[in-house]
Order: sequence, then structure tokens, then C-alpha cells
Amino acid sequence: MPKGEISIDERFCKGCSLCSHFCTRGCITIPGDRFTPQGYLLPVFSSPEKCNACGICGWLCPHFAIEVYKLTEKEPAAK
Amino acid sequence: MSSQDVENRTWVSGTPRLWVRHPAGCRQCPGCHHPIIERLIADVVGDLKVEDDTVFITGVGCSTRAFTVMDFDGISTAHGRAPDVGTAIKRTLHGRPVVITIQGDGDCIAIGAGSLLAAVGRAERITVFMANNGNFGTTGGQMAPTTLTGQVTTTTPQGRNDSTGFPMHVPELLATLKGCAYSARGSVHTPANYQRTKKLMKTAVQKQLDDVGFSFVEILSACPPDWRITPVESLRWIEEQMIPEFPLGEFKNVECIN
Repeated sequence: MPKGEISIDERFCKGCSLCSHFCTRGCITIPGDRFTPQGYLLPVFSSPEKCNACGICGWLCPHFAIEVYKLTEKEPAAK
Repeated sequence: MSSQDVENRTWVSGTPRLWVRHPAGCRQCPGCHHPIIERLIADVVGDLKVEDDTVFITGVGCSTRAFTVMDFDGISTAHGRAPDVGTAIKRTLHGRPVVITIQGDGDCIAIGAGSLLAAVGRAERITVFMANNGNFGTTGGQMAPTTLTGQVTTTTPQGRNDSTGFPMHVPELLATLKGCAYSARGSVHTPANYQRTKKLMKTAVQKQLDDVGFSFVEILSACPPDWRITPVESLRWIEEQMIPEFPLGEFKNVECIN
């Protein structure tokens, strides 16, 4: 199961592509055929299974469009 | 993955606690480093738990856009006069507020150089954060005091050369003055430098809380639209061109200015 999850708010994204540049695991890509409402290229969280919630994209997004969350699994007994 | 498998969904990073969502979003250009610096300031003030006592002061420039979104008290002042207004607030309220100024290089060292040096000379207990992007970003990329030798700007189309001067090194300059307790330079162009700069900024605010003296941090900042390159290329430009000219690190860190 994935360890992390990010949400990209397309209202605030300005398509600078720093998130895909800084993501060391290649989770964020820019497909090139999707656009924000302001007309910028929209990044996509394309490989959620590789994310380890390091938080770097959340630190270095200049426009506060990314929120990073760490996911922890339920205990087996609780299932 | 189904949502039932997830027990905890803990926030790691993103919008800081002391931040108000502007309905129009962040107003800076794509790839600008000013909002990252403002995120660091909001994080540092939140970590030190001084947000109820903090007043941030902006001059004129791209740093003024912090004014609408940061969730603590602020004043926008005339061009370059943020240290003067900070002095007034600090002294009339008997040193209680934590005064932080957010300025660009044009605001801080071009038109506000007199205010800045006078504030250091009086050893005011305020903290100045200066974003250095090597040009006047708001007005279209004219030459600033921090423009590198050979850098092409709107007013130096052949590159800055001997006839137009040399870049100013502000933390090194302030480190020679006795009223300055802390001066440093950081950068936010890599994740490691982001964390290092956060430590520098926290130390600078701590110097003010400990009533030691004036504290100053310069942060190298990208301006992709005025440098005419993409945001990712601008990171490489900071690494290859700016850091050899403006070395990172602490230049002065004293416990007592006497």
C-alpha cells in the first residue's frame, strides 16, 4: 500500500514544474495534455504507489498548491 | 487501495498553519521563490510560537504580496523604509513585539540602504529577511545593486560590466558593523538548502528574542520571468552563477554585541 498521498489544487497551480523536478521517486509527472483553469500545464500524481511522503514537493511548491499526507496502515487486529 | 485500510492520514507539508488562502491564489509568477521564503517565515514564527507578538513589515516589491496571506499582523510601508517603521514599532511598544521585515534586494539595499545601515548602526533588535534575485523583479528586471557581473538585464543589455559596477554583498557588509549580531546567507533552490535556510532564519529570530542585536538573513531567490529562463533552469542558474559570487553560510554570529 502507498505510504504517502499528495493533493494538487489545480486552482492555485501555476505549472512551474518544480514539483516534478524535485520528486526523487518520479511520482509527479506533467503529461502535457491537461491544463489548470488559468491555462498552465497541470502536474499529475501519476505513481501513488512509489510516494514515501518525504514532503519535499510540499515544501518547495511556490504557490501552495500541494498538500502532502503520510498514510499509516490499520493494525491487522483492527481489520 | 480502499479508504478503510487507512488508519491515519497525517499532514506532512504544504500550506503552513499561519497562512490565509487568498481566493485568487498566490499572486507571484510561476517558479518565484518569494512564496517559499514566506512559507519559511510562517513556519519559523509558528515553530517559535511567537505569532501573537509578531509584526511583519514589507516594503514595496514582490515581497509586498505576502501582506494579504500571512496570518499575523503586518504593515506595508513606503519603499525601503521597513527598518524605520520596525524601529518605531519596537521602541514605542517597549521591545515587546517581534519585528520581522520581508524585503527584496531593490527595496532593502538599493532605495532602503540608508534605513538598513542606520538600523544596524543603532543596533535595533529587529530581523530583516532579504530575498536576493539579482534584479528589480516587480518593475520588469532592471539592474539592481546585486546584479551579477555579466548578467543581462533590461537596463544592461550587454551584461553588467566595469562601467555599471559590481554586485553588493550585504551580509558580509553588515557583519563588519558592530550593531549586527547575526548575518547569514541561505538559498532555497534544493531541499537540503531549504532546511539549512530554515535553521538560519530561526537563529536570526532567536537573536531578536534574546535581545542580542540586529539580525539579517539574505536568501537567494529565483526570478524566472525576468531572467528569461524556465523555473527549472533558474535553479541551475542559482547553483552555477549566483552561489560562486554569493557564498552561503553564516558571516557573523555573536552572543553579545559589546
